[in-house]
Amino acid sequence: MELYEFSAVELSRMLRARECSSAELTRSVLERIEKVEKRVRAYLTVDREGALAAAERADERFAAGETLPPLSGIPIGVKDNICTRGMRTTCASKMLDNFVPPYNATVIERLQSAGAVVTGKLNLDEFAMGSSCENSHFQKTANPHDLTRVPGGSSGGSAAALAAGEAILTLGSDTGGSIRQPAAYCGIVGLKPTYGAVSRYGLVAFASSLDQIGPMARTVEDAALLFSAIRGADSRDATCAAREYAPLSLSSDVRGMRIGVPEEYYGDGVEAAVKAAVHAQLQELEKAGAKLIPIRLPSTPYALSAYYIISSAEASSNLARYDGVRYGFRSERVENLEDVYLNTRSEGFGDECKRRIMLGTFVLSSGYYDAYYKRAKLLQQRIAAEFTEAFKSCDAIVTPTAPDTAFPFGAHSDDPLKMYASDICTVTVNIAGLPAVSIPCGKDAHGLPIGMQIIGGKFTEEKILSLAKACEEMAGGFNRLPALD
Amino acid sequence: MKIDLEKVAQLARLKIEPEKREMFERQLQSIVEMVEKLPQMEEAYVGVDPAHPMQLREDTVRPSLRREAILANAPQTQAGCVVVPKTVE
Amino acid sequence: MKMEFEPVIGLEVHAELSTETKIYCGCKNEFGGEVNSHCCEICTGMPGTLPTLNSRVVDYAIKMGHALHCKINNVCKQDRKNYFYPDLPKAYQISQADIPLCEHGYVDVLLDESCHSKRIGVTRIHIEEDAGKLLHDESFLGSLIDFNRCGVPLIEIVSEPDMRSSEEAKAYLETIKGILGYLDISDCKMQEGSIRCDVNVSLRPKGSEKFGNRCEMKNVNSFSGAQRAIEYEIKRQSEILGKGGTVSQETRRWDDAKGQSFPMRSKENADDYRYFPEPDLGTIVVSPEHVEELRAQIPELPGEKLQRYVKKCGLAYFDANLLCENVEKYTFFERVIEIGGCSLQAAANWLNGDVTRLLGERMTTLFATCLTPEKLIGMLRLIEGGQISNTAGKTVIEEIMFTEKTAEEVVKEKELMQINDTGALEKTVREVIEKNGKVVADYRGGKSNALGFLVGQCMRASGGKANPAAVREILLKQLG
Repeated sequence: MELYEFSAVELSRMLRARECSSAELTRSVLERIEKVEKRVRAYLTVDREGALAAAERADERFAAGETLPPLSGIPIGVKDNICTRGMRTTCASKMLDNFVPPYNATVIERLQSAGAVVTGKLNLDEFAMGSSCENSHFQKTANPHDLTRVPGGSSGGSAAALAAGEAILTLGSDTGGSIRQPAAYCGIVGLKPTYGAVSRYGLVAFASSLDQIGPMARTVEDAALLFSAIRGADSRDATCAAREYAPLSLSSDVRGMRIGVPEEYYGDGVEAAVKAAVHAQLQELEKAGAKLIPIRLPSTPYALSAYYIISSAEASSNLARYDGVRYGFRSERVENLEDVYLNTRSEGFGDECKRRIMLGTFVLSSGYYDAYYKRAKLLQQRIAAEFTEAFKSCDAIVTPTAPDTAFPFGAHSDDPLKMYASDICTVTVNIAGLPAVSIPCGKDAHGLPIGMQIIGGKFTEEKILSLAKACEEMAGGFNRLPALD
Repeated sequence: MKIDLEKVAQLARLKIEPEKREMFERQLQSIVEMVEKLPQMEEAYVGVDPAHPMQLREDTVRPSLRREAILANAPQTQAGCVVVPKTVE
Repeated sequence: MKMEFEPVIGLEVHAELSTETKIYCGCKNEFGGEVNSHCCEICTGMPGTLPTLNSRVVDYAIKMGHALHCKINNVCKQDRKNYFYPDLPKAYQISQADIPLCEHGYVDVLLDESCHSKRIGVTRIHIEEDAGKLLHDESFLGSLIDFNRCGVPLIEIVSEPDMRSSEEAKAYLETIKGILGYLDISDCKMQEGSIRCDVNVSLRPKGSEKFGNRCEMKNVNSFSGAQRAIEYEIKRQSEILGKGGTVSQETRRWDDAKGQSFPMRSKENADDYRYFPEPDLGTIVVSPEHVEELRAQIPELPGEKLQRYVKKCGLAYFDANLLCENVEKYTFFERVIEIGGCSLQAAANWLNGDVTRLLGERMTTLFATCLTPEKLIGMLRLIEGGQISNTAGKTVIEEIMFTEKTAEEVVKEKELMQINDTGALEKTVREVIEKNGKVVADYRGGKSNALGFLVGQCMRASGGKANPAAVREILLKQLG
């Protein structure tokens, strides 16, 4: 077994036991990247020198006998919409092709102070808008389980890198399912934390009220480890919750646990294989002592509309700053100020960004605001209230993560609605600000991973991760890399 | 509701190539039709959440960035400033 | 019959708040300094950055709300106002839309020396961020952007359309400026742009309740400019209406150098700001206790003080106004009132006269000198008691302002005691009469004002120490 195949928890123990060094581990990951990256195309930037230097620093401190945080010396890849000082941060857009942030995101500061090794920046759909990673300006990342298929999105690079052994842990971001759906497609674990659990400072905003940074990993304990390192109050983010957190302690005992099963998430749009896999897992949980409770979340059918209104409205404003004035791309065809705006934005953004910017501009424009934006915000309150009500009778809610499994490149290219529909199971969680984790749940007939989503009440990450761990143990472990050859 | 692509694009400072106009119009129209299915809501939307007050910042100075760092990513600079085409004739 | 029109004027005042830091980041809030030297990733709108609201901005705005008798919305929020301009790094301004921090207030504006006042409604006060500055010069490759001013905290004070003349508008602006100064929340430096205003003007037939079409004027950079812009606009609109035309509702740009306003291009007019709640900030909640704490910190405001000085202290309006304009002078004067024992008008005269002149000559301020209310009162009592003359006072005031000495000490040391000794005075008077034969002849020929000149000569001869009343009496006697 190569070093890049181990879990972070195991590697953390090995580094302390001096069974391997961080430099050896980092080189193992870098060599793996060199070997498979041509086919997977998960990275937009690989920081070889920086990673090796950080690994050596970690090794020096281990050698000096220091007590170090668990992430010390562990190679971590970062989604390329999280700002890294001195390291290009592109959001997979032509607009920020050459943008080098002069500051670090709060999560990067936390990783660095934990002694982690940042391997580089991972591909995504442009400005995190998409569900396939095909909207990247630079490259299309492939799904390591089937290189002719998409890895999901928008954190497709972060999911694919883990499944391909190109990182031990990765950071993703999730606005409507962008951590969970690619985690499902790539057969890994992805946690979308409670809104406000992790600082958004330095996360390039798509939809501020829905965006959250979260951990992606090959095991549940790994995801918990990375989550513990990045969560917590931040004076630089007014939307980050000011609360103290007890250390996470996961238990795989599900006896007496009440699991809500909402029928709205198992509708006609969900592929039979997906439904069957999730039902099978639910039955196993029941056997282990959990109670299954049918619940109703009646506003679910409206969630997608509310999500597209709110997220596009915020995106249209958040993406207005990319105007060719202060940073990033500026069109060459510029005679006057209006040209700088029009040509830069028209040449710099891809079609998906343009669609959402225009939709957002439309729903906020005078005369339409009440009919669209206000109505969507009211619906958001209603959806959140339905979840609150549901959590009175259950501890966690289990649904499929996505209605399908990884689809071939180009399958949804000309039909945004079809693409948006794959977010149907995940957007409600962002709208209600809840935590949810996607875990592997068997495979379909093509051998493609199926994802199961566990949703919790606000700040109950420990509970949903515990349930996830129980499933992991039932499956005999999640950490299995697909053969890439 | 029919979406006025021209007006929306101008507000968003986007130029839509003629060959893509039809595609955007069709796609945006179908999205608008989807979102119009939202139910009518009786409640008034207020937009404040007094149960979760925002923490305010102390009025204490923190160091600014060096000017070079502010300008490092700018497409065009002169005399310590970012340059844009003349805004007045 | 010629129709008579009445102007209807409303004002929007933007005042920069004098906090230590900017509204949404920890950069210094400071005027001047090298271009782009007070900037960070937040105020220059770099990707991924987030605002955090400065608590002092909220406090200052609430204070202004109290001063203008507003209802304080202690639960409110911020909204984004979206538009593209190179001085606006995020392409939106964080402001407040439907729930301003303060609303429904008023201010009483003094219109004349008899303290007649008019109540002007205050629609709202909200907090927002300032934009950067564009620099223009022939030698530049284009327009240059200085981001230092980006994120400087502003309050926007919107009045009701309650003013009916440019004079009322000017009085309103002066009142607002005075209050900002008294609260010590803004530098109010017009030339540094720390206080600016937009002007709304419409005309309607006198007696009508309905408003006419309104023009908003931007780019009004001074109070006197505001007055000129209003007068110009009243004239322009009445000419249109006089000819039976219609004023088009529009935004116009005031050009103070040309003394004219011009319609802004239709594109600029067509802006749709697409306001929506700022998702990067939460709900602003100020506890009712804190709102009351801030109310308790509101000092007596200039209008009230001025009226008290005139009505209770008996000062002339002119002197009262001068005192009220200067925080050191009125603070000093308040102590004089408290201690008492002298004529308050005399104290005001000295503060606005010789004291102000000497401060100007020495380029200093009142509190930097050695003058105390006690020392000034000491001197005034010597004058009022006839121990020294007013003329001698001019020497005394300079000494007590710039040395530690008291008036008594100065008078003693410089021998400025007024001469009441009739024998000594008679001798001086005799000498003056001998030296000024022609004036004496004039006096006797009926030119009664010649007497004043002779008194003055006697005073000068005594080194200012003679008691002018006694001199006058002896002169009259000797001249027969």
